[in-house]
Amino acid sequence: MKKTELLLVFFSFLFLWPGLSFALNGKSNIALPLIEDAIAEDMPYDSGGDILLRWPADEDDEGVVYEIYAKTESSENEWKLADSFKAFEKTADKMRMPFWAWSHGSDEYAVKIPIKSVDGDADIGTVLCFKIKAFRDGKPIAESAILCASSDDNWFNLPRLNGLLMVILITAAFFMTMSRAKKKGLFIRRIAGLDAIDEAIGRATEMGKPIYYSTGINGMSSVNTIASLSILGEVSKKVAEYDSIIKVPHYDPIVMSVAKETVKQSYIEAGRPDSYHDDANFFLSSDQFSYAASLDGMIEREKPAACFFMGYFLAESLLLTEVGASAGAIQIAATDSESQLPFFFTSCDYTLIGEELYAAGAYLSKEPMLLSVLKLQDFGKLFMMLSVLIGGIAIALAAVFHCDGFVKGLLDFFTNY
Amino acid sequence: MLIIKKYIPLAIVTIVGLLTLATYYVPAKASSAYLSTLNQWEVIVSGFAFLLGLISLLMTHYKKIAKRVDGWGYSLFVFIGFFAVVIPGIISHGAQAKDGVLTSLGWAFRYLYNPLAATMFAVLAFYIVSTAFRSFRIKSVQAFVLFIAAFILILGNVPAGQMLWDAMLGWTGICGIGDIIQWIMQVPSVAAKRGIMIGITIGAAVTSLKIIFGIERQYMGRD
Repeated sequence: MKKTELLLVFFSFLFLWPGLSFALNGKSNIALPLIEDAIAEDMPYDSGGDILLRWPADEDDEGVVYEIYAKTESSENEWKLADSFKAFEKTADKMRMPFWAWSHGSDEYAVKIPIKSVDGDADIGTVLCFKIKAFRDGKPIAESAILCASSDDNWFNLPRLNGLLMVILITAAFFMTMSRAKKKGLFIRRIAGLDAIDEAIGRATEMGKPIYYSTGINGMSSVNTIASLSILGEVSKKVAEYDSIIKVPHYDPIVMSVAKETVKQSYIEAGRPDSYHDDANFFLSSDQFSYAASLDGMIEREKPAACFFMGYFLAESLLLTEVGASAGAIQIAATDSESQLPFFFTSCDYTLIGEELYAAGAYLSKEPMLLSVLKLQDFGKLFMMLSVLIGGIAIALAAVFHCDGFVKGLLDFFTNY
Repeated sequence: MLIIKKYIPLAIVTIVGLLTLATYYVPAKASSAYLSTLNQWEVIVSGFAFLLGLISLLMTHYKKIAKRVDGWGYSLFVFIGFFAVVIPGIISHGAQAKDGVLTSLGWAFRYLYNPLAATMFAVLAFYIVSTAFRSFRIKSVQAFVLFIAAFILILGNVPAGQMLWDAMLGWTGICGIGDIIQWIMQVPSVAAKRGIMIGITIGAAVTSLKIIFGIERQYMGRD
């Protein structure tokens, strides 16, 4: 064969090979256009559970579907579909981040891939590799280079900076109001439900009947239970002074142990340690309805003169207070469980709403240090009212004048991330 | 003595309180490990405390039986119930079913405990009716407003009420009773709830600060 014929066969083969290959394999090996500037990096401000992928969004992306494939660096070639979405569905501006922690806009895509979704055994430091593919009408049109990254845990959650600033502000106000409390007296508005405590205990003393006090169905780790124990301390001090009888049935054994100490201390402070009985506090049950049934039975049999329900309650609230009402007891309730407030309102003589539960201990103790903190609660409410009012007006005005950036910034500041 | 009774517990409360607060802002693995350890400790303490609760329960009822106080017969049922569940529980190693068959513990739960708990919950329906009757007595302007709102809600949630509304006011075409219910539940009701919730949140935050900085220490006995 001549040299020219050989060259002709060679070039023919060269040009025909891609078509032949496609016919044999059913797919093309032609290199797809590259998705440029794609990066994989550790997701900032998280606990190390995610990898962030970013690449530029193009105006011509309409109708494009992106698929993200992932694998661990050590695995051979087991690419796994990690995410799939339509163009512009996951642009960076849709990432739930405030403006002070995230500056990327709608001109790029940002996708968060949980490392556990790639490999269940992946942990902080495991190197993962990603490949982004773009499809139009089901056909691949572009793909990225292989991007590898590992996640890391971060030491500060910057999106929560607004919350931290608020905590610092509240703490500063807390110490300021305390220092002012030492200088001059504070006016505290009357709370009818708490003023009625004396009346209830006096009635119990005259009738020679016991007082029941329930601390609710939360454990010692709840703030409302601690607030309830503060009230218990003051109530039991008055009970000791009046030489009446208090019974504190418990749902939680830890709360019972703490309440025992609280009641004992109150009797000592009232100068009546001899009147204290260790069985004033007793455990009933850690089951909601067993507790309610047991306490209902006691109220029904003993017909107490007064019942206090202070703390966190659920469905048992009405079961307890209706029986107390039918037994003719004066009933005073306080809860921060807003779903139970209507039941307490309708079946109790006095109800302390929400934050009054937290204020009650300080109100009854009349200690300047504790009373000063009530002022802080009022300042907090004033701050919230002004924020709602001014924020509402500002957002409405900004919406009218199309100041979208200002609206987002303002909303970011009052959002919990 | 004051150091052991007062200062050391207060220092523990302050340090643990501040560290726990910090975990909300620190996403690092050490932070979640710390929280997980605290939770484990709580479970352990709860286990021991439950024993205290059990002793308290049995002692209280034993004293009632021993002193023959009024209703001491009920206390007998505490012991009967206790042993009737604990003994089968030990025999069946705490399992309620074995190979798809109920153990005696499972039987006690399914045929004694569950019906009794359901009965208690069912009683709530009757109490709600009696409470509603009491709260619907119109004694003031506020009670009147409450009554009107509740009446519309009740009316709108029963088919007869909807038919009545359509027959009487349907011709006006302004709005259905469902729209009014939706407005009551989504506007005034939510506004009031949010107000209460904001107050609760502020109260809880301030109380937490009082506890962390040792201003509130009623729960540990004063001094």
